[in-house]
Amino acid sequence: MAELNPAHAELDITPSSEDGVPVLSVSGELDMSNVEHMRSAVASSGAASAGRLVFELSGLRFIDSAGIAVLLEASESIGSVSVRAPTAPVRRVIEITGLTEILPIES
Amino acid sequence: MIEVRASPPPSANQEEIRESSAGPVERARGIRATPAAIIVLIIGFAVTAAVALTTLALYNSNENRLLRVRLRELNLVLAETVPSVQTPLASAAALADATGGSAHSFRTFISTYVGPRQQFTSASLWRIEGARPVRIATVGAPPGLESRPKALAQFLARARRPGVLQLRGMLEGAHPALGFQFSTSRRAPVFAVYAESALPASRRSKIESNSAFSDLDYVVYLGSSRNASQLLVTNAGKLPLRGRQATDVVPYGAGHFTLVVAPIGSLSGAFFRDLPWIVGLAGALIALAAALATHRLALGRERAHQLAQDLDRIAAGDRERYWEQRSISQTLQHALLPDKLPKRAGLEVSAVYVPASAGLDVGGDWYDVVELGDERLLLIIGDVSGHGLEAATTMALLRHAALAYAAQDSSPAGVLENLARFARTRDDETYFATVLCAQFRLNDREVRVASAGHLAPLLLDGASAHFLDLDVDPAIGLRRVRPRYRESIAALPPEGTLIAFTDGLVERRGEVIDAGLTRLSVLASSTRKSLDELVVMLAHELTFGERRDDTAIVGVHWEQ
Repeated sequence: MAELNPAHAELDITPSSEDGVPVLSVSGELDMSNVEHMRSAVASSGAASAGRLVFELSGLRFIDSAGIAVLLEASESIGSVSVRAPTAPVRRVIEITGLTEILPIES
Repeated sequence: MIEVRASPPPSANQEEIRESSAGPVERARGIRATPAAIIVLIIGFAVTAAVALTTLALYNSNENRLLRVRLRELNLVLAETVPSVQTPLASAAALADATGGSAHSFRTFISTYVGPRQQFTSASLWRIEGARPVRIATVGAPPGLESRPKALAQFLARARRPGVLQLRGMLEGAHPALGFQFSTSRRAPVFAVYAESALPASRRSKIESNSAFSDLDYVVYLGSSRNASQLLVTNAGKLPLRGRQATDVVPYGAGHFTLVVAPIGSLSGAFFRDLPWIVGLAGALIALAAALATHRLALGRERAHQLAQDLDRIAAGDRERYWEQRSISQTLQHALLPDKLPKRAGLEVSAVYVPASAGLDVGGDWYDVVELGDERLLLIIGDVSGHGLEAATTMALLRHAALAYAAQDSSPAGVLENLARFARTRDDETYFATVLCAQFRLNDREVRVASAGHLAPLLLDGASAHFLDLDVDPAIGLRRVRPRYRESIAALPPEGTLIAFTDGLVERRGEVIDAGLTRLSVLASSTRKSLDELVVMLAHELTFGERRDDTAIVGVHWEQ
């Protein structure tokens, strides 16, 4: 869902599933202004029952500490969470904040 | 400590704005012509009056012209009756001359012209000899003029001017009449033919409604002036005629008639007569409508203007409240941050907190610098995820917890492990915080640093600058990870500066975070400013524009 409100950064989240593992394809920018959308997308993804969740981040251009926090929350509540194909800015933030073990990156 | 704060805009005119707030909208509702509407009305009426008067002048000029045309026509009609009067009399006079005044011939000839329905009521043949004329023959009634012998003699004496029709009015009395005399005798004996035509007693005559002149009132006077006593005939109900009229003097034989005509109604038609009124009325209505439309437009404009002012006032009020709340938030934020930082010879500490530009809330960034004695210094900087009162509360909790743990065990890894353990006990809510803990040992010229997901600080050594190479462990607040933090030890120059910061300083959309780190490093190493100036400059240069996140910067400068 695209955000038209200029106060909110553009964010598009598309849920899908691979072999029973929920996948959230996230594109745009994930920051403090729209983390609630991400939070509800995680909650409705069915990941809690599957025990696994994949974030497909090839279209995510920016993530701030609030966005990282949502990924960490997902990891805490679901258990096994991985990040797929992050863009360089996102990958670097995950690396620099020492989260590569908690949010393992699938390339 | 130096504060970078946004200041509220000047609001000196607020009182003035409030005072004027109850005004123009109320006034606009009253019945009050706007100046523009009055001007339009005046111009409209003036134009209407000018057009109506022009129309009226054209109408009058046209009516006068038409009336003169009609007068001329009537004049011609009247002049054409001369032969019908003169011819029988002239013929009878010629016959008398030829027959030597034969009464029989005269009677035979003239009798067809005399009678109740004929042209003349009376016709007689006279011989003019000496002072007394002698009547030879009479047809019809006796001549009315005979009752006044002197007048008769005078009139018949004009027979000495042969070939000219003579006219005599007998307008007094019950039977007014017009007398005619004609003679052709140029030598004695002189014969004269005298005839009378009766005039209606009231002098009133009707024109047939289908006549060519039914649209006119006319008056015919005997003589060359409008003398009421010489009135011959009229169709007008009341004399003298009033209003528009035209007069002409018509020669008739040896005499004259004076002809006066006035139009009944309008000669050019009722429409043209009414046109000035129609123009005036329509123009007045159009002017009124235009004035009304102008009035509404002017009122609309006034209301729009008023609305704009109201909106301005509301916006000013909103701005005022915004700045008030923002100021409260910032006051609270600053209350949560240390109000005193260490400062002594050889040691200087400076910090800046820059709130997010858009929000009214307090943020989750914090910092502390405490002296531990023995030339040791502990720097803690942290960033609680999220924003608002909740994040600020968590921040305050973590900040004081960290200070408390540091009092027991001031090793950076120890502080972070204790803090992480503390955070796991609060299972009622989820939050994360990146925290950097650095212990300066100036005597040993080293700094020990542990990071819970926090960005490494920048070390400035003269003109060179580099980020400390750290082992970064996960953020505070994760329950599934065992809290283990590693310490990295870095050597310190005798004189240098360490800049610790939160991610708001270096994160930018559309770029890898390393670009922001490089920007910071280049900017910090390119100037030689005091620590206070450096920290403010970094805050100003690197958080310029829209800030979605709070930013904290702490600088420590030492000299040995």
